[in-house]
Amino acid sequence: MSARRIVFTSGKGGVGKTTTTVNVGAALAKRGARVVLVDADIGLRNLDLVLGLEKRIVFDLVEVAEGRCQLRQALIRDKRFESLYMLPAAQTRDKEAVSEEQMAAMIEELAQSADYVLIDSPAGIEHGFKNAVAGAKEAIIVTIPEVSAIRDADRVIGKLIAKGIPVRLIINRIRPEMVRSGDMLSIEDVCEILSAELIGIIPDDEDVIDTTNRGEPLVLDDSKRLASMYGKIARRLQGEIVPFSDLNSRGFFDRLFAGLKAG
Amino acid sequence: MMQELKLQEEPLSTPVARGRGTAIVVTSGKGGVGKTTTVANLGTALAQRGHDVVLVDADVGLRNLDIVLGLENRVKHHLLDVLEEQASLDDALVADKHSPQLRLLASAQTREKDDVDTQKMRALIESLAQRFDYVLIDCPAGIERGFQNAIAGADEAIVVCTPEVSAVRDVDRVVGLLGNRFRPRLIVNRVRPELVAKGKMLSVDDVNSILRLPLLGVIADEPQVLIASNRGEPLALDGSSKAGAAYRAIAARLRGDDVAMPDVTVARPGFIKKLSAFFGGRR
Repeated sequence: MSARRIVFTSGKGGVGKTTTTVNVGAALAKRGARVVLVDADIGLRNLDLVLGLEKRIVFDLVEVAEGRCQLRQALIRDKRFESLYMLPAAQTRDKEAVSEEQMAAMIEELAQSADYVLIDSPAGIEHGFKNAVAGAKEAIIVTIPEVSAIRDADRVIGKLIAKGIPVRLIINRIRPEMVRSGDMLSIEDVCEILSAELIGIIPDDEDVIDTTNRGEPLVLDDSKRLASMYGKIARRLQGEIVPFSDLNSRGFFDRLFAGLKAG
Repeated sequence: MMQELKLQEEPLSTPVARGRGTAIVVTSGKGGVGKTTTVANLGTALAQRGHDVVLVDADVGLRNLDIVLGLENRVKHHLLDVLEEQASLDDALVADKHSPQLRLLASAQTREKDDVDTQKMRALIESLAQRFDYVLIDCPAGIERGFQNAIAGADEAIVVCTPEVSAVRDVDRVVGLLGNRFRPRLIVNRVRPELVAKGKMLSVDDVNSILRLPLLGVIADEPQVLIASNRGEPLALDGSSKAGAAYRAIAARLRGDDVAMPDVTVARPGFIKKLSAFFGGRR
């Protein structure tokens, strides 16, 4: 059995790639899957902070690539979950320190003993992006309902499709009241522009800021509004059909989806 | 050199003497913290004060400054056309819709950052600095080639940070990479006073206790920022927007004017005291 290898990317930075990777990964791990999160942002790593594991890093991805340690020595297990691991990026090296071939080989090795390898891509479309994509078989595009983010996502989708990597879409940081007042693009608008399959919608929520700063993934706390939403993305990834209209009990998403044929 | 008496009387801190202008790169490490919005608004505010300003989008392949300014349909030539001498600088500069003294040099959308010759980029920024009072360079996220190209010709740097640990860590790294050539100044963006008051968000004080940089300005989070970006109308033009006022204040500080920091606190006496003590100490 070989793992699903999914890169989380966006083009534009600051749209929630790392937060999404961590929470989707943790949600999969909560459901019993063996998950490895790979931080591909060499030089600007942050996955460790969002997971709250920054003090436990001994070896990193670059040291693995250079053969200075075994892959399993660099993996850090997140003790709050049964089966969640992180492979940290190096902080004081640059993206050229690892080649696409080395990256693909590392992902391949991780895939032998995991169910999911989730790769957190850096912003942009430079070498760091190419490295992050090198070992991936699927991609999840994280975007927000802003014109500039969507333009960047569109550019990245083009690059991924050219490589034969199928893409699915998570629309992050939706503010229902702004969509309603016509000040924010709707889910329907974004899906139409990007014409990619939607796999999740996450509303803007201040819990993200707080839990990120504290290094405690949201999905740890079932009382958090977003926890179940990340859970649903995990279930959809596992092949379950989960209707989007369930996302919000007040029926807002029903209205958002009026006119949108496919979920 | 300086023949006009009037010029000699101007304070030394005023960066706009006749002759060469100032090239300032706006950078952050982390993406999505507001670099492009900052460049658009500072450029607008400086142009509204009568300066000749050019904005350079250095994000080759993922340009957005044209959208934020509402100029995306007016771009004919881009940065790489100029660097590769396919178009003249004059043909490539797009006049802004709102501010007559503002120009945009758009980035190439379908090219790669590796296509940019760093030496030529430096020369281009230098020639722009000869013509304009301010050259504001919008840096891409990250610290790869695009970052190196963006900082190549700059005289000064502004780092934009949001009150998040990951953004602070990335800015700290960028400050290190900028090295001793720059003494970067800090803008803390997207502060939500009510979250800071609840202890759910880092304060400006918290952020700068780690970064220890000269504080250039603080921008509170408001939904209008996003709306303005989507519409292509910089908030600096909007007299009723707090963020717009904050950008105008930063522009004034860039000119060397002595402007008080805006109050981004909520009505909580202890908290205001704490923040104003902090800002008071800075001035």
